[in-house]
Amino acid sequence: MESFWGSVKLMFFIYALAAAISLITAWVIKHIFTLIRMQRNRSEARKSAKAGSASMQGGAAPKGSA
Amino acid sequence: MPEIHFLHLFQGIATMVASDPLIAAARILLIALGISFVYLGAKGTLEPLIMIPMGIGMASVNAGVLYLSAKTMGTIFIDPIASGPEKILDVLQINFLQPIYTFTFSNGLIACLVFMGIGAISDIGYMLIAPVRCMIIAVMAELGTMLTFPLAVAFGLPYNEAAAIAVVGTADAPMVLYASLLLARDLFVPITIVAYLYLSLTYGGYPYLIRLLIPKELRGIKMDQKTIPNISAGEKITFSIITGTVLCLLFPVAAPLFMSFFVGVIVREAGVKQYVEFLSGPVLYGSTFFLGLLLGVLFEANTILNPKVILLLILGMTALLLSGIGGIIGGYIVYWMSGRTFNPVVGIAGVSCVPTTAKVAQKEAHAANKFAMILPWAMGACVSGVISSAIIVGIYVTLLQVPTP
Repeated sequence: MESFWGSVKLMFFIYALAAAISLITAWVIKHIFTLIRMQRNRSEARKSAKAGSASMQGGAAPKGSA
Repeated sequence: MPEIHFLHLFQGIATMVASDPLIAAARILLIALGISFVYLGAKGTLEPLIMIPMGIGMASVNAGVLYLSAKTMGTIFIDPIASGPEKILDVLQINFLQPIYTFTFSNGLIACLVFMGIGAISDIGYMLIAPVRCMIIAVMAELGTMLTFPLAVAFGLPYNEAAAIAVVGTADAPMVLYASLLLARDLFVPITIVAYLYLSLTYGGYPYLIRLLIPKELRGIKMDQKTIPNISAGEKITFSIITGTVLCLLFPVAAPLFMSFFVGVIVREAGVKQYVEFLSGPVLYGSTFFLGLLLGVLFEANTILNPKVILLLILGMTALLLSGIGGIIGGYIVYWMSGRTFNPVVGIAGVSCVPTTAKVAQKEAHAANKFAMILPWAMGACVSGVISSAIIVGIYVTLLQVPTP
């Protein structure tokens, strides 16, 4: 029979390793998506700022040209 | 006219009369058990997708024993112990289910096919709602997978067999099949049957565990739907490809399982409709059907006469019970972490068993408070459970796999 205490030690090792890998994976995923969202929000803000300034210029041009 | 002997004509009965009384009794018991599985499956008490083919397989294989030669009894369904190219070639031509067994069971392909189908029906986006919280729950819900291992060793099982039965606690039947094939080939039939039998009972058993461990006011906690972010298909594909590749890199031995699951997810998110329909329909249900049928056919009288089966039944039940308790503890941990805004019932979904436990969680929360909607978080915990289970199986198999002779 293989040792019971050996299996208890092995269990703690496997559980700790599995928990560490699982939680690191989740943590990395969380931060990757935070970054993706930040970039998305930034580019959306840039796009809307550009669109805003273009519409302001577009709106002012006829007045100026008139 | 030739002389006709009644027992020659009905060989199923003849073999029963001629065999050892214990074997004959076991055959009768398994025929009755098979018929009851079909009945309970058709009634909806047990999971019909697996129990109906398994039941008919069990009843048929234990009834259909015949004389293969003057002194040898057997069936023309399957020969799981056939080894060596010549013998395998012989049985492939005789046993009608042998091709499916040889080409899909013994190499774990059928488990991977089921996993592709599960991937194609799983929305990974739920996990991305709160990845760390979902993973805490999933890790806690592996309590049974962990504690059953030393328990099984204390009962005298060697490490590889103890790990194989402990994997029942992951509550992922294809994962149990895959792990037991690699860890304890001789026990993979009873272990997989124990897993499928108990998993079909979780739907009935876990609600009582939830009600026992979580008071009604906590079961009815409403969760804020506004916190659910909008996750694009591109984000889900990014998650799947990164996680799949990293996990394959860490545990090459479980790489077929990881690949199968994530290919299903990616095909779904990429919107390849034809593949999604193929994986979530014919592949998932076709493999589940043959998985059930073959497990039933493999459940012969000699299987239950193995003295380890009773022990496996007890340990399998213990593993699932402890995993359920661990999941609920995980739910409580996240409940405290969130400032008491998280519904602890979500914890049961960390046990995995996609999507059954998530449905159980939602049903229980809804029963306590009809406005409580926890399904997205429960699905997140469920998907995290699949990932944490695959990681644990990867570690067990890497450390304890017995080299094939």
